[in-house]
Amino acid sequence: MSTPLLAIEGLEVRHGAVTAVHGLSLEVDRGEIVGLIGPNGAGKSSTLHAIMGAVRPAAGDVRVRGESVVGKRPEEVARQGVALVPEGRRIFAELSVEENLKLGLAGRRTRDGADDDFARVYELFPAVRESLRRKAGTLSGGQQQQLAIARALVADPEVLLLDEPSLGLAPRMVDVVFETLVTIRDRGLAVLLVEQRAQRTVALADRSHVLANGQQRLTLGPESADDTAALVSAYMA
Amino acid sequence: MTVAVLNIDWQTLADATGLGAIYALMAVGIGLVFGVLRLVNFAYGQLVMAGAYALAFASEHGWSLWVGIPLCFAVVVTLSMLMDRIVFRPLRTQSPAVMLVATFAVAFLLQSIALLWFGPLGKIASSLATLNQPVTVSGVDIRKIAIVAIGLGALCLLALVLLLGRTRVGLHMRAAAMDFRTAELLGVRAGRVIGAAVVISGVLAAIVAVMLTVQNPLVTPDFALRDTILVLAGVVLGGMNRLVPATLGGFAIGFASGLLGGALPTNQSQYLPSFLFAAVILVLLFRPGGLFTREGQQAVERV
Amino acid sequence: MRRALLLQLLAPLALVALAALVGTLVSTSTETYVINALVNVVIVVALYVFIGNSGVLSFGHISFVAVGAWAAGVLSMPVEEKPAIMPHLFGLLGEHTVGNIWSLALAAAVGAAYALVVGLPLMRLSGLGAGIATFGVLEITHNVLRYWEKIGPGLNTFSAVPETTGLLQASLGAALAVIVAFGYRRMRFGRLLSATREDAAAARAVGVSVYRQRLVAFVLSGALAGFAGGLLVHMLPVNTESVYLDLTFLTLAMLVIGGATSLWGAVVGALAVSAVDSFLAEAESGIHLFGRSVDFPAGTRIVVVGALMALVLILRPAGLTGGREFSVPLARPRRLLTKFAR
Ligand SMILES: Nc1ncnc2c1ncn2[C@@H]1O[C@H](COP(=O)(O)OP(=O)(O)OP(=O)(O)O)[C@@H](O)[C@H]1O
Ligand SMILES: [Mg+2]
Repeated sequence: MSTPLLAIEGLEVRHGAVTAVHGLSLEVDRGEIVGLIGPNGAGKSSTLHAIMGAVRPAAGDVRVRGESVVGKRPEEVARQGVALVPEGRRIFAELSVEENLKLGLAGRRTRDGADDDFARVYELFPAVRESLRRKAGTLSGGQQQQLAIARALVADPEVLLLDEPSLGLAPRMVDVVFETLVTIRDRGLAVLLVEQRAQRTVALADRSHVLANGQQRLTLGPESADDTAALVSAYMA
Repeated sequence: MTVAVLNIDWQTLADATGLGAIYALMAVGIGLVFGVLRLVNFAYGQLVMAGAYALAFASEHGWSLWVGIPLCFAVVVTLSMLMDRIVFRPLRTQSPAVMLVATFAVAFLLQSIALLWFGPLGKIASSLATLNQPVTVSGVDIRKIAIVAIGLGALCLLALVLLLGRTRVGLHMRAAAMDFRTAELLGVRAGRVIGAAVVISGVLAAIVAVMLTVQNPLVTPDFALRDTILVLAGVVLGGMNRLVPATLGGFAIGFASGLLGGALPTNQSQYLPSFLFAAVILVLLFRPGGLFTREGQQAVERV
Repeated sequence: MRRALLLQLLAPLALVALAALVGTLVSTSTETYVINALVNVVIVVALYVFIGNSGVLSFGHISFVAVGAWAAGVLSMPVEEKPAIMPHLFGLLGEHTVGNIWSLALAAAVGAAYALVVGLPLMRLSGLGAGIATFGVLEITHNVLRYWEKIGPGLNTFSAVPETTGLLQASLGAALAVIVAFGYRRMRFGRLLSATREDAAAARAVGVSVYRQRLVAFVLSGALAGFAGGLLVHMLPVNTESVYLDLTFLTLAMLVIGGATSLWGAVVGALAVSAVDSFLAEAESGIHLFGRSVDFPAGTRIVVVGALMALVLILRPAGLTGGREFSVPLARPRRLLTKFAR
C-alpha cells in the first residue's frame, strides 16, 4: 500500500479548555476528494488549522507524503505543498486581484513554472483574469471565492484544503465552485473539502467523514447521498 | 490662543517642510512596525537618540562622516533588532496594551542608560554643522539642511513606495499588516516580514538621527523625545493602521509645529501641545480610523 | 470565607503599618524615603482601582495627582508667600488659605472632578485607544499647568507649602487608600467592573454598562490620585516635572511589578519598588555598604526599575504576587496583564 498524500491520525485539537477535535483520523490521496462535514462548532476549521500548523495539535499526527508536519509553522507546511482556502475567503480587500494572486506564490517551493500555473488558473477562472487590476474588495462574493481558490492554486499545491467554499454563495455559484473542485481533483490534487452542505458534499466526494462535537461519527460514500436518515442521525447524535 | 499674527518667511516655510519631512519618516518607521506587529513603539525616539549619540561619539573623536554615519546606522539598526528580539518577540502574543506598557518601559530604560553612560549634560554632534549655512535660491536665503531634509525625505518616501509596492517582500509586508494570520497561512514568512519592518524602521530612525542632529547638535538623553510624542500624535491623527495616512499625519504635525513654532510668538504657541492632544483625543473618540482614512477602517477598538 | 476576606484587607494594611514602623526606627533622612514610599502606595492603589479592576490601561492618572497637588499647594500656601511664587494667581485663590485637612480633601475632590470630566468622553475607549488618549490627557495637563500661571506657580516650584506630610499622615493616607480600594472592590460596583474585565461581552449581555462601571472606577481612582497629589505637595516642593512622565513610569512599573489585578499586588509593588528605588537613589549620592563605599552614577535607578519592569512583563506578566490577593489558595490565578481589554 502506498503512503497517502495527506494522513491524519488520532488528531486532537484544544483551544485552551475547549477540546475542538478529538481523535480524528482520515486520509486523502492524489485524485481524491474527501469531505469533512458537520454542524457549526464541530471542529472542522480547527482540523484544517491543525494541518496547516496554525494551531499545534494536542495529540495525534499529521503526515504529508508520509512525513510528519506537526510542529512546523504554517509557512513551512505551505512549502510542503499544502494550500488552504480559508473560511470566509479571507482575500485582501484593499490589494488588487493580481496582488492577491501573487501572495499565493509565497507558498510555492520554487518559482519555476509559476507562469504556467497562472495560465491554468486563468483558464479555470476567466472572471479572475478579467479583473486583475481591480481591488479584490470590489469583486462579488462568488468572484472572491474563485479568487481565494485561485490564490491557493498558484502555490502549486499537491494537497488543497477548502474551508466551506460554498459559504454565502448563490446556488449557481455553488455549482461553479463544486464543478471546479472536480477539475482540480482530475488534475491529480488531493482535495480535503470542509462543508456544511452535507448532501452535496457526500455526493461529490469519494468519501465523507461526519464530525460532530469534535468526534468522528460516520463515514459515507457517494451512494449514501440520498440516505438522509443516516446523515441526520449522525448530526444529532 | 488669541489672534495669531503670522509672520511667515521663506526660511520658516522651508524649515517647516523640512521638519514635516523628518516627522513623516518617523511616522513611517512607527507605522511599519505597528502594521505588522500591532505595536505602538513608544521607544522609537530612543532609537533616534542612540543614533544621535553615535554621531556625537564619532564627531568627538574627530572621525570623518564616512565613519560617523555608518556607525550611526549600525548602532540604530542593531538596537532596533535587539529591541524586537529581547522585548517585543516574547510579548507578541500579549494584548496591545501590555506591549504599549512594555515599550514605555523600554523607552525609559534606554533613556536612563544614555544618562548613565553619557551623563546629563549632552554631547555635541557637529560633523554636519555646515548644513546649517544658508544657500541662496532665487534670491531667497534658505538653510541647506531644510533642502536636504526635504530632498532626503522625498527620496526615502519614494524608495519606500517602490519597495512596498513593487517588491515581493513589500507585498508580503502589506498583506501581513492587513491580516497577519491569513498571510501566514498562505506561506508568507512571518519572521522575515517582521524582520524587514524592524530593519527598515531602524534605518529610518538612523536617517532621522542624522537630520535632527544637524538642526540640534546638542545630544542629550531626552533627544527626540518630544519629536516622538508629536509624531505619535500625528500618526494617530492621520490614521494609525494605514501607512499613507499615518505618514501624512506625521508630515502635517511636523509642518504645523515648524510653521507655528516659527511664526507665533512664544506666549501664543505655548498651548499648542494641548490643542494637538485635544485633537488626538477627539479623533480617537469620533474618527478612530484617523482623519486621512475613509470611514470604516478602524484602528482602535471601542467599548 | 469571611476570614479569608478579612485577610485580604488586613495583609496590605499590615504591610503599610510595617513600613510606618520602619519609618519610626530609621534616621530622619531615611524616613523621607519611607514617607515617599507610602505616598507612592496611595498613587499605585489609585491606579489599581481603575487599571486593575477594569483591565483598561491609563497613562493619565498622574494628571490627577498633579491637579490634586496644584489644588492643595495653591490653597494651603500662606497668603503672604503667594505673590512671590505665584504672582499671576486668580484673586480668589490668592486671598485664601485653608488648613491641612481641608487641603487634602480638596485635592481629592479636584482629582475626582477632573477624572469625571476626562472620563465622561474617554471611558468609551479601551485597549490601545485608551492608552493613547490618556497619554494625551497627561500631556495636556502638564502643558496647561506649566503655562497657566493664574492657577498655580507655572514653571516655578511649590516652595513654602507647609510640610505636613510626615510619617503619620502618609501612613494614615496609605491605610485610607487601601481601605477605600478594598471597600470598592467588595461593593457591587467593583464586582461588576471586574466582571467586565474578565469578559466584557458577557457582562454587557447581562445588562452591565461597561461604560458606567469604568467611569465610577475612574472617578474614584481620580479622587485617590488627587489625594496622593495633596500628600505629595505637602511632602516636598513639587513642580510640573515631578508629576509627569517619570512618575507615570515609576508608578506604572510598581503596579505591573507587584501585580495589577490585586490590591495586595499594588501595595507590594509600590513598597518593593520604592525600597529598591530609594536604595539606589541613596547609592547614586554615595553610601557605605558593608564597609565599602558604593557610588552609582545618576540614572542607575531608572535603569534598574526599567529592567525589572521589562523582566516582570516578559517572565511573569501577572506580577510578583501573580495578581492574586494575599493568601487565598482557592482564587484562580489571573493573568491580568494578558487580560487588558483588547
Ligand atoms: N481560537 C479559538 N479559541 C477558543 N475556542 C475556539 C477557537 N477556535 C475554535 N474554537 C472552538 O472550537 C470548537 C470548534 O470550532 P471550529 O471553528 O473548528 O468549528 P467549525 O466546525 O469550523 O464550525 P463552523 O462550521 O461554524 O465554521 C468550537 O467550540 C469553537 O468555539
Ligand atoms: Mg469553521
